[in-house]
Amino acid sequence: MTIDPETLMAYADGELDPITAKRVEKAIAADPALAGHVEQHRRLAASLRAAFDPVAAAPVPPAVETILRDAVKVVPLASKPVRRERPLWMGAVAASLVAGLFAGPLLFPRDPGGVAMRDGAAIARGEVAKALGTQLASAQAPDAPVRVGVTFRDGAQRWCRSFETGATGGIACAQGKDWRIERLYGGVSQQSGAYRQAGSPAAAMMADAQTMMAGDPLDAAAEKAARDAGWR
Amino acid sequence: MAFEDELLDHLPRLRRFAHALARSAADADDLLQASVERALIKRGQWEPGTRLDSWMYRLMRNLWIDTVRAETRRGETFVPPEAGEAIGSAGGQEMAVELGKVAQAMRTLPPEQREAVALVVIEGFAYKEAAEILDIPMGTLTSRLVRGREALMVRLGEAA
Repeated sequence: MTIDPETLMAYADGELDPITAKRVEKAIAADPALAGHVEQHRRLAASLRAAFDPVAAAPVPPAVETILRDAVKVVPLASKPVRRERPLWMGAVAASLVAGLFAGPLLFPRDPGGVAMRDGAAIARGEVAKALGTQLASAQAPDAPVRVGVTFRDGAQRWCRSFETGATGGIACAQGKDWRIERLYGGVSQQSGAYRQAGSPAAAMMADAQTMMAGDPLDAAAEKAARDAGWR
Repeated sequence: MAFEDELLDHLPRLRRFAHALARSAADADDLLQASVERALIKRGQWEPGTRLDSWMYRLMRNLWIDTVRAETRRGETFVPPEAGEAIGSAGGQEMAVELGKVAQAMRTLPPEQREAVALVVIEGFAYKEAAEILDIPMGTLTSRLVRGREALMVRLGEAA
């Protein structure tokens, strides 16, 4: 009986089903050369592991760990307040919560019709909700009160869009009939246009959008198709 | 467990895989860093509940193959067998000391054999898992694996 090299290797690796393994064992018993070859496979595997295992036992380069540990610090709004750059809008939320004790619906003070809290989640309202639902980034009036940036699907396959209104920017994702605000950023200026400094809130917003993105952002045609389909 | 925490746990093994693939220790750590950066950007594409380690191995391997192809286009092909030792002792001094002749022999293998050997023999994946990571049929995996190992046996003087 002949045993091909693949089968002999698979035997040495313990990859064969019991019946085939028995068959190989019988062949080995009858042919010492086969037994020698199995032994070579095992010796080679042992030397390969001995050569590379020390790499896995050594400390990982600090630069790589740092990338990951920095990434942990960016926490989605839904689970915890953002530690990195909270102030501006967190104050507004706190103020609106206090105001809500007396005033019923928890709307942001001096809100341009933008964001409301419901069941602990921030929901787009008014102009922001309207822009998110209907406005195309490819066809926005220069003086539009809300400007839409990128549109993409997130890991949960929701449609998400970045937007800016006044000095506030955010990323919202469609959930049912609502646009849920996943992140908000203060100090995002509309004027600066093309020139944006690294580390600025606007740059942070784009970086976070990148991170949330599954696949690529939509082009103008796909954006229009998604809107026309009602963001489903 | 958070994506980042789980990824941290896998880093030592991923680094070992990078060292088995790359031409030098410096290239290997660059590959590791680039893979982690890519993973953070693409994390939305990983389905929670599936194995993060397999996803990361696939991601790293694809990044590595991209660089191998780019080098091939530029004419810097992987180290041919006969030049293996010379490059290992001249260009990769620290690797030569650290990992010795076994690592040098690995670097003489064609990429498709090297990745198969690295996944199964060094990383300990089952044939089926390795074939899935590489996105090739089982038969292709086993034939590359057997050819890679036979070549290593010859180079390392472990053939009969």
